[in-house]
Amino acid sequence: MAPASTAWTPSSTRGGPWRLPAYWALQARMDLLWTLRNPRMSVVYYLSSLLVNVAEVVGLLLLAERFQGIGAWSRGHVLFLLGYALTVAGLLGATFDYNTLEVSRRLGRGQLDHTLLQPRPLWTALLSEGCAPFSGSAALLPGLCLLAWSADALRLALSPAWLAALAANLAGSCGVILATCYLWGSLAFWQPVAAEEISASSRSLLHQLKAFPLDGLAPAARAGLLTALPVGFVAWYPCRVLLGLGSGHLWLTPAAASLLLLLSNRLFAKGLHHYLEVGSQRYTPFGHRR
Amino acid sequence: MTRGALGRPGGYLRTAALSAASLTTDGPLFLLDYLLRFLRVALLLSLWRVVMAHRGPVSGISLDALLTYTLITEVFAEPLACRTQLDVSIWEGSIAQRLLRPLPLVGHYAAETFGRWALSFCLFSLPLLAAAPLLGVDPLPGGERTGLAMGARTLAFCTSLVLGVTIGLALEFLFGGLMARYDLSVWDLQGLRGALQGLASGALLPLAILPWGLGPMLKWLPFAGMASAPLRIYTATGPVSWLLAMQLGWGVALWLLTAWVWRANRERLVCYGG
Repeated sequence: MAPASTAWTPSSTRGGPWRLPAYWALQARMDLLWTLRNPRMSVVYYLSSLLVNVAEVVGLLLLAERFQGIGAWSRGHVLFLLGYALTVAGLLGATFDYNTLEVSRRLGRGQLDHTLLQPRPLWTALLSEGCAPFSGSAALLPGLCLLAWSADALRLALSPAWLAALAANLAGSCGVILATCYLWGSLAFWQPVAAEEISASSRSLLHQLKAFPLDGLAPAARAGLLTALPVGFVAWYPCRVLLGLGSGHLWLTPAAASLLLLLSNRLFAKGLHHYLEVGSQRYTPFGHRR
Repeated sequence: MTRGALGRPGGYLRTAALSAASLTTDGPLFLLDYLLRFLRVALLLSLWRVVMAHRGPVSGISLDALLTYTLITEVFAEPLACRTQLDVSIWEGSIAQRLLRPLPLVGHYAAETFGRWALSFCLFSLPLLAAAPLLGVDPLPGGERTGLAMGARTLAFCTSLVLGVTIGLALEFLFGGLMARYDLSVWDLQGLRGALQGLASGALLPLAILPWGLGPMLKWLPFAGMASAPLRIYTATGPVSWLLAMQLGWGVALWLLTAWVWRANRERLVCYGG
């Protein structure tokens, strides 16, 4: 039985972490070429992505405007929360596009073989193939604008330490979403048809609930949304701590992300080992999907 | 020809049954969507309680009415959003197979959609309705207590829901026709429509409480006839006859427009999907 570490480098051991910048540059170039191939369609795509992302948070924005805040969260605080949530979505869109975040689609459709054939470790492919800074960053600009606007409105003291904490928490929130998608998505190794859309469903679950302030929930429900289903770490908890709205720890979101990433790495490696034994059975010999 | 222009009733029923069964054949993972919906409604209810704490009615809507509005929105989420598989089937070309089946195209998509709704209504909506008291929500229409008044309001709500679905189906076919006409990407169009509809239909937030005077403007759009009108009737926060008349007007106008768009783009549609 092959150890999990071998399973992560099935084709070659060439192409370690030092090759990642080159892979990202290559992917970014291809993304730019795709964008320029049909500028009209690209603009429509970008604007619709922008609208979809903004629409996910617009309800709360309108609510905060109408009621001058939500509970302990003033209007400025809610704007910061929404800006943070949009920035997380934008960062993930720009770095994990092309179904690298919705990994169950690749697994369920038998497309993992396309990646396994490449002469580089699987993890470098998954970390770099989704780089889409031009087509996938629709949420990033409004997110950063909202963050800057709310920081100004709240007169936040932007010390280097606070900015470092913001960056660490943003990375942590992205890590939480990534880990959740891979944790659930690994099920597609065993159930390729039934679980093909499970990463997308879990991502949708996190995205739809990410911008809600969880303060009004019962403590048990709130605890569930910080553990079993870590929605709280996507925006609410880190914003609450960064804005000083309640007790908490700045390191908790990055720590939760690290733990979840370790878990998802372990499950994915286990699933990959299973895949290397049984392969994909989604396609008939004629090439039709079962 | 042995069948009428509308097809046989059994055909609709079998299509609906097949559509409902197709959701469950891949295993129990479809239940995850119900978990998402339950979490969303629980969060929204908690949000309203936080926002409305120590406040009287806002724009004529009390906290109780808001909670009922939110719960009923989730119970009838699918009919209120009224999304079929039309756009995806145009994109992937499977509309060609549907055109060969012995049912009218609109009826076919409607039957498929009703089938999915029926399963979801049984597995999610009814349990959610039953659990309403546990969530602290009064699920009765308009808080009515007498049988006659409750029956009248329920009848008006059902009529409004049917009219809302009629508007929704018309919009589905209208957007489908425009997609074929202008060669639009299905994902872009879905995104744009979802963004617009979520806000303008009143399914996300009641139109009356929107800031900057948005509500009075949005209530005239057809999207308001899909969700806001039936929900306002259910929660007794709007004039029944005016809302029904508005829905009827939009339903007739949209179907006339949709029929014209489909007639004008029939050949393009055939070419589009493959």
